[in-house]
Amino acid sequence: MLNQVSFVIVQALVSLKRNIWLTIASILTVMTALILLGGSVFFLANTSNLATSFESQIEIAVFINDNQNREQVIDLRNQIQVMAGVDTVELTAKEDAIIEFQESMGSSSLLEDLGGINPFPDKITVKATDARLVEGIANQIAEINGVDKVRYGQGILEKLIQFTDWLRWIGIAVVAAFAFASFLLITLNIKTNVNSRENEIQIMRLVGASNGLIKWPFFIEGLLLGFIGGIISIGIVGIGYNWLLQYIITTLAFLPVVADQMFMISVFALMLIGGMIMGVLASVFAVRKFLK
Amino acid sequence: MISIKNVSKIYSNGARALSNINLEISKSEFVFLVGPSGAGKSTLIKLMYREEEATRGQVFIDTINLSRLNPKQVPLLRRRTGVIFQDFKLLPTKTVFENVAFAQQVIGKSKQEIKVNTLNILELVGLSRKKDSFPSELSGGEQQRVCVARALVNKPQILLADEPTGNLDIDNAWGIMELLDKINREGTTVVMATHAMHIVEKMAKRVVKVEEGRITDHKLGEAY
Ligand SMILES: Nc1ncnc2c1ncn2[C@@H]1O[C@H](COP(=O)(O)OP(=O)(O)O)[C@@H](O)[C@H]1O
Ligand SMILES: [Mg+2]
Repeated sequence: MLNQVSFVIVQALVSLKRNIWLTIASILTVMTALILLGGSVFFLANTSNLATSFESQIEIAVFINDNQNREQVIDLRNQIQVMAGVDTVELTAKEDAIIEFQESMGSSSLLEDLGGINPFPDKITVKATDARLVEGIANQIAEINGVDKVRYGQGILEKLIQFTDWLRWIGIAVVAAFAFASFLLITLNIKTNVNSRENEIQIMRLVGASNGLIKWPFFIEGLLLGFIGGIISIGIVGIGYNWLLQYIITTLAFLPVVADQMFMISVFALMLIGGMIMGVLASVFAVRKFLK
Repeated sequence: MISIKNVSKIYSNGARALSNINLEISKSEFVFLVGPSGAGKSTLIKLMYREEEATRGQVFIDTINLSRLNPKQVPLLRRRTGVIFQDFKLLPTKTVFENVAFAQQVIGKSKQEIKVNTLNILELVGLSRKKDSFPSELSGGEQQRVCVARALVNKPQILLADEPTGNLDIDNAWGIMELLDKINREGTTVVMATHAMHIVEKMAKRVVKVEEGRITDHKLGEAY
């Protein structure tokens, strides 16, 4: 048993070494496949982040009737707060609104100039948990007693949602296409590898090797190819992505980017584990053909 | 030792290779299978190491019914039967020593045991000096000797040979035949398919003639 385990490992390593060009080609293939995969996941994360960031800028401005007293306004705010789909609610009292406006105008005597009459209504700013809920929430709020007007960028909203949907779909399509491409690349490559060793498999069967023993060296090879290709591709994608982040942060600062460490680590883990799983699975399927 | 009972073989594409074959081969016998190309000789040999299964009838090695063998047991059968072919089937990236050692590694022998067995068997086939050569550096006769060594190193009771001299010139062919004869005299049962009639006649062993998947003639060797 121990003899066989060491045989299997040595066998895998020796054949990787003896077929060094095939090994290098395989590693390059796995690497390319995983770079496509990892790169596309980062692309998806950023498009979807961009979409969310666009959507999060949408808010509903609720203007309150002048005849509502403070207590009623606070009651209104609480009422909106508990509505389904409402994320945050912020009340700007008319006194604060005019001070804000005064400051933005650089004037300190605006209220006096207006003859002591504050033209600003009380305002409640509402953010929804999802841009798709904004219209419904806005309509509901408009029905509430004491609400004067509701504004949420009617007309632009639909276009924006269309655009962000489209962004997300592109991200998903790119990931799906590249995941498929990388699976294909790795599978074809390992299939060629295994086929080129049909002779060896045949001889092993002939001299009485068990199927397990025949399969194991190929599993280990697939695992190793996936691992090495994974490590290299993580290095390349990691450096490339960080470089891109730096570039965007310094030159296109307005563009939101995903720079979350945990997220990056999970993408790298996905690449490594994905590479190894694909390597092993491809080996299993390729070898199975030769085992009766 | 080998017992073939009412065996027919039809390949999955419909080709009828063997029809109702009956054949008994005893321990330590040397049997030639002769007949024209396409007669079914290779198929008959493949049934004996369970590369193919009989469509009808039964093949026994000792008391083992090969059609009752489950896939897990096939490797165990293979360890009791050595096989050699016309086209050698050596691993080109391994040396002579490694090719022979390979057959023992895959069944889990220890390093020490493998070394001793391999050197002994290479001595027997007369290739001790070439143990570190690669197959491409050997003559056809020498390559076939490596195959014989590989087939015998796990001490099988049966050696199956499918046209082992087919790719060899006359001198090398006789060298292999002398080797097979020596092995046979030491107790190994040998079944050899060939259409080299000059070899068959000179060896004076039992001969089974196969034509169109049937046994059409049967001569006993001088020992009988
Ligand atoms: N794997 C196979 N699939 C289908 N037909 C086969 C296969 N192997 C052999 N045959 C057919 O079976 C018959 C016997 O072939 P074979 O046993 O190789 O004869 P021989 O070794 O005497 O030349 C031939 O007609 C051949 O075409
Ligand atoms: Mg044949």
